[in-house]
Amino acid sequence: MNAPRKLTLAEWDARYDHLSEAGLREPGYGGRLSRHVALEGDLRLRQLRFDESPAALRLWNFLLTENQRLREARAGGDRIVGAMKDLGTVPVMAYSLPGLRAFYPDGAWWTPCLMECSDGLLRQAEALGVDASFCPVRAMLAAFQNGEHFPRPDLLICSAGAVCDDFSAVAQRLEKMGFPIVWWEMPRRRSPGPREPARVLPGNLAAPQIQVECVRGELERICKLLGELAGQPLDAEALANGIQKANQVRRLLASLRQAVYASPGAPLPALEMLVAEMLAIHFCSDREESIGVLTDLLAEAHGRIRAGRFVVPKESVRVFWVNPVADLRAMNLLEDWGGRICGSDYMFTHALDLIPEELPPLEALARAALADPMVGSTRDRARRIVAECRAHRAEAVVVSRIPGASHCAREGTIIREVVRMELGIPAIELEIPPVCDAMLPTLGSRLQALLETAKARRPS
Amino acid sequence: MKSTSQEVFFTSPWVPAEWIKAHGLEPRGVWFAPQFALDSLPLSAGLCAFAHAAVRLAETQRESAVIFSTHCDQLRRGFDAVAGPACAPVFLFNLPATWQTPVARQIFAAELERLGDFLVALGGHAPSSGELLETMTHYSLARDRLLGAAPGCAGRRYAEAVARFHWDGSCPPSGDAFFRGQEGPSPPGSVPLALIGGPLPRSQWDLLDIIERAGGRVVLNGTEAGERSLQPAFPLETLRAALAPGSEESERCLQAALHPALLEALTRGYIEGCVDVFQRPNTPLYAWLKERLAARRARGIVLWHYVGCDLWRAEAQPLREAFGLPVLLLDADEAAGGSLRIAGRIEAFLEALR
Repeated sequence: MNAPRKLTLAEWDARYDHLSEAGLREPGYGGRLSRHVALEGDLRLRQLRFDESPAALRLWNFLLTENQRLREARAGGDRIVGAMKDLGTVPVMAYSLPGLRAFYPDGAWWTPCLMECSDGLLRQAEALGVDASFCPVRAMLAAFQNGEHFPRPDLLICSAGAVCDDFSAVAQRLEKMGFPIVWWEMPRRRSPGPREPARVLPGNLAAPQIQVECVRGELERICKLLGELAGQPLDAEALANGIQKANQVRRLLASLRQAVYASPGAPLPALEMLVAEMLAIHFCSDREESIGVLTDLLAEAHGRIRAGRFVVPKESVRVFWVNPVADLRAMNLLEDWGGRICGSDYMFTHALDLIPEELPPLEALARAALADPMVGSTRDRARRIVAECRAHRAEAVVVSRIPGASHCAREGTIIREVVRMELGIPAIELEIPPVCDAMLPTLGSRLQALLETAKARRPS
Repeated sequence: MKSTSQEVFFTSPWVPAEWIKAHGLEPRGVWFAPQFALDSLPLSAGLCAFAHAAVRLAETQRESAVIFSTHCDQLRRGFDAVAGPACAPVFLFNLPATWQTPVARQIFAAELERLGDFLVALGGHAPSSGELLETMTHYSLARDRLLGAAPGCAGRRYAEAVARFHWDGSCPPSGDAFFRGQEGPSPPGSVPLALIGGPLPRSQWDLLDIIERAGGRVVLNGTEAGERSLQPAFPLETLRAALAPGSEESERCLQAALHPALLEALTRGYIEGCVDVFQRPNTPLYAWLKERLAARRARGIVLWHYVGCDLWRAEAQPLREAFGLPVLLLDADEAAGGSLRIAGRIEAFLEALR
């Protein structure tokens, strides 16, 4: 049996016709992938290579119709919550109430990539005083201003404190542009003192009880606001149900990651896995559908593993990837050059861990929020990376720098140092801009050097 | 006030120096520290020179302690970079970004207690209420006097005086020329400017001279350790009245009751007195600026920021919009030694304002 292929957009159109003729059944947002280029200007799709499965088609269509689905939900009477920065906490609360949908306007940081900067968002952000010295998340500012992407949220909630400065600065600018924001405090997570009451967090972490209490207090405040928006209070029972549903998504993702990353060859490509992991943070604005999308992907992965059909061959170098890439194409390139993803930390590992269901729901959410890799020490984050590298036999680590992101100035050095000390495997930092084509020679030579070094270390 | 010679460097004016001093240690604001060296760093690294200097300080001043704060990403992660027994004892003070809620005060108060434990472990002692009140009073008076002098004295001497206050808690004596506005009359036609932004350590005070040489006059020093760092205030009269001498027994009871009140006052004083760009929302900064820019008739704003400091850099346009004043952005990393480029930019800015 042939190995599954990665298809160009044109090849997908042909495959789509074939699948349709064969009776492909799709959700309402389904259709040819190429329509996103024609209708929404997602030009980058022309440079990407996609997994050939119907499950991947469903994933891409789900992702690329999010703004449209949000507008339809608004038109249908739903209230829209813009959650910002916490990546995985506020949406769990919002989706616990009927009639609320939460999304991350932060996600606009990928719009310049998807539209190959034809959207003009970065240029508009510059005109608003936020230039290229900031992370591409600045695209969000312009998206709010021009209203051409996502609908204006009914409520904007943003975490502050131990968050990226560029994001915080952009959000503050947004508020001054007339978009009121509810700020909530996220303290920088620290290790409990020797005699200090402590609480266990997801991800094998711990925090002092006082920090958990503070976050819980802040989330209580957010709960009240969400309840007011929904017209009914968010009580413990509703929140517990919401947590169970969120955990259903997280369990599916955990199974998918385990299946794909532990497999000898990769049954699904890195790009589709990145997109799938993203579903954890706000369910791509539809919790029930995200469960369906992930279920299909998991079935596809299991089927291919059973059949020994891998989209990336067994001999590829097993790479652990840190931070999301500003240009999605980078994930294709890694595989083209002989690597494969065997583990990832795309800055929201706390949204992958299960939220404890045995605790009072707000306490559980507070603990999950505090487990955010970006609010704690970079050394904590590095330790988790090392543990996952060990578990999935990583041969190399890539720390992908986000241009202009304040956290990138320090974290790469620390992570690489810990990885080298603990594992002795090669690690590099790469900066990937929203459209990386102009940097392909540099990117290629650095990535290839890493992969060759890792290969050279294999026992002969 | 008993004091050992142990120095404790702090990197944010919102870490209460009086709390360190009351523990018998020497708080040292890094802005005045001769050993606080700003290296030239490659732009591409995106590292803030100030945060990097704090890391270097912790790596080289092993006999002292260094307190980092969480108010910016670079300092917070700089703390992560300092590791190992060869470095100075370090502490990361969690400064809440929000200020409107009880949780912000709760976080700050808990950090005070934790810092207290750290200071005791360094060789300090837990202060009595009397010691703490005395120290708070001393710092408050110094702040009040420095604030009082600000409208008439905001150039280099003012920057030096405030930095010295953060260094050793001192304030020039009342007869000092500093308080008589005797820096010499402003040259006719000099342009009143506000200098706003991040840290301005002593190695960069040349900037103030450059501004003056170019025909400007800094009437508002809103840099990190400038006038806006002097806002924390405490209800000292009420606290002192509570500590009035009584019987030995009643004094013991009072001491026990007063200590939490003093900590509460310290917490409230700092949370409510904090005026900084990292606050969310940062409306206190804008309210503070609005009043002073108008009162001192500033005609332009020099925005002083470090490479990688998104917090300040993002404010350039909002400052223009809020106050209708021209804003000149200056990269801190260029200014060491007074670069020709920075002098040229200031000259052109002032020329345009005349």
